[in-house]
Amino acid sequence: MEGPALDKLTHRLSICPAEFLSEPRLTGGEGVHVDAVVSDLMQDLGGAPVSADESRHFQGSPKERNWLRLVLVGAWLLHDEWFQQARTLSADAYGWLRLGLGPLSQLVSADQFVSDPDRREELVRHCLAALGLRPAGETQSQADDRLKTLNSVEREAVIRETRDQLERARKLREKMREEAAREAAARASRE
Amino acid sequence: MIPADRLDRNPLITEAGYGLLKSIQQHPDAPYWSYVVGDRVRVEDLPLVEAYRRALFEQRPGGSPAPSPQILDWVRAMRSRARMFRRHIPEGMNLERDWAFVPTMAREDIATRIEDIVPWDEDISRMIVYDTSGTTGHAIVVPYHPRTMAQNHPLIEYALEQHGVRPHFGPDGVACFNVGAQATTVVFANVFSVWNQAGFAKVNLHPRGWRDVENARRFFSILAPQFLTGDPMGFAELMRWKIPIRPAAMVSTAVALGSSLKSRLEAHFRCPVIDYYSTTETGPVACSDPGGRGLVVFPPDVFVEVVDADGYPAARGEITVTGGRNPYLPLLRYRTGDFARMSFEENAEGRVTARLLDLEAREAVMFRATDGSPICPVDIGRIIREYPIVQHEFVQRADGSCDLALRPVPGGSVDTETLAGRLAALFGVMSPIDIRLDPALGERMASGKVQPFRSELAV
Repeated sequence: MEGPALDKLTHRLSICPAEFLSEPRLTGGEGVHVDAVVSDLMQDLGGAPVSADESRHFQGSPKERNWLRLVLVGAWLLHDEWFQQARTLSADAYGWLRLGLGPLSQLVSADQFVSDPDRREELVRHCLAALGLRPAGETQSQADDRLKTLNSVEREAVIRETRDQLERARKLREKMREEAAREAAARASRE
Repeated sequence: MIPADRLDRNPLITEAGYGLLKSIQQHPDAPYWSYVVGDRVRVEDLPLVEAYRRALFEQRPGGSPAPSPQILDWVRAMRSRARMFRRHIPEGMNLERDWAFVPTMAREDIATRIEDIVPWDEDISRMIVYDTSGTTGHAIVVPYHPRTMAQNHPLIEYALEQHGVRPHFGPDGVACFNVGAQATTVVFANVFSVWNQAGFAKVNLHPRGWRDVENARRFFSILAPQFLTGDPMGFAELMRWKIPIRPAAMVSTAVALGSSLKSRLEAHFRCPVIDYYSTTETGPVACSDPGGRGLVVFPPDVFVEVVDADGYPAARGEITVTGGRNPYLPLLRYRTGDFARMSFEENAEGRVTARLLDLEAREAVMFRATDGSPICPVDIGRIIREYPIVQHEFVQRADGSCDLALRPVPGGSVDTETLAGRLAALFGVMSPIDIRLDPALGERMASGKVQPFRSELAV
């Protein structure tokens, strides 16, 4: 289904207010109550506020700090009027905030999804894909291709694989030069 | 007491096997040993070698012009483990229908992209390597597994069995000598655990390798190997040295065996001479059978085809191998560099045999030093390879003189004086070696190939 225009949403990210970039409240500490922000968002999108059980998912440990910050940035993005007017997106939006941002938050600082144009576009495209939408004016395959190009998680996997391959090639060549390998083994006939 | 370094080399050697090994090594007529090596076979390898022997003798599949479902399954599995397979086989390719479109692999891939061939999840801790002879000037280093080498033993047994030869393998005797005739090569003794600790020696019929020819005669005659492996040059030298031996069979490998030499060897040694086609990269591929034409493709785990320059099936073409048993070198339409025709014959029971006919492999060429001792193309290739050359053509004339034409690598400089000096030392100081640089060598030939070694000496 066609969603909102990409530019409008990337612009929205670029003007993310300071309170959505503030420190989230971590277990037992001070800061923005991410669970409350998510709960407000759910209602603005036409859904129910989050339950007490669901709230606990958004009260993280220090290890989850970047993820909680990214949830705040995501919540800012989802407050766009296009999503609010749709009135049907709260469940998918909740799912994305709850489960879709983990891998990204492991690789990229939440600030970059505001300050870096490519990361802004990436976050918007991730968001639209999670809601089953494509940017206005794009075909599905254009949208898929562009997300693949920007995808930080896939890029990291490719880089890791390339690094692993180089390391494996180095070990292999080292092994082939080893004296013990060069001694070989007796063969009964000459090939 | 078996020393630790021998146990490292032969983890399964027994006291009896070690006793036999010492008796070969310390034999008063033994050659000058120049190398120490074992079979490196471990106990966990034995069931796999035995399973391979059973598959070979009991379930050998028939020949076919198309890859079997087993080979295709193996290729598909390898696609997820080796980059070269993934690159050559696009996602969704229909291998049954479009096999002929799968790009071929060649020696150059092993030389330059070995990390794309060795499966990335394969444990390389037991890897060993072999340098190929490189008589054409391009030697390559081939990774191998000791178990793979052990699996090649049942293949020799199978070839022998086709000729009615069933050796007795045990620590009480020598199974086999491998016989060569080169100026320089390794010479060693060993016992094979997959042959029940039977003895083995790789020997070289070169005067410098023995105290005297008489010692060589006694060494062969007393240790009495049950069969011989070797190349045609080594076997020809056996006759010339008048080695008194009656092997049950001779297995000829490495280069093409001419029919005239084969008949002479059979008459002289009164045993079958088996033509055995095997390369380091592929392992054994085919062997001659009694009375049959050409060579029968017999390993159960390879698919052999002959293809044209574009990789399409051809009536006569390059022998190309898929599959194999080397976990470090899975082969996907690997071009061997040798040429043949293929035929498929069906017997009364409907069993199809694939044969390689008119095999045009590396030709047997033998040179002589001034003192009459043998020199192999490998000896010369080893020296020439150190210089920056693209192609070469080495000829020994009937009068013993030698000419060498070299095509240097563009921009490369060849020190012909030191090269001539080294070759003169190989052939004996009096041998004149005429070296000529020819940047257009090979271009006058339609194929672009030259004959790298040629001898005009009488056999």
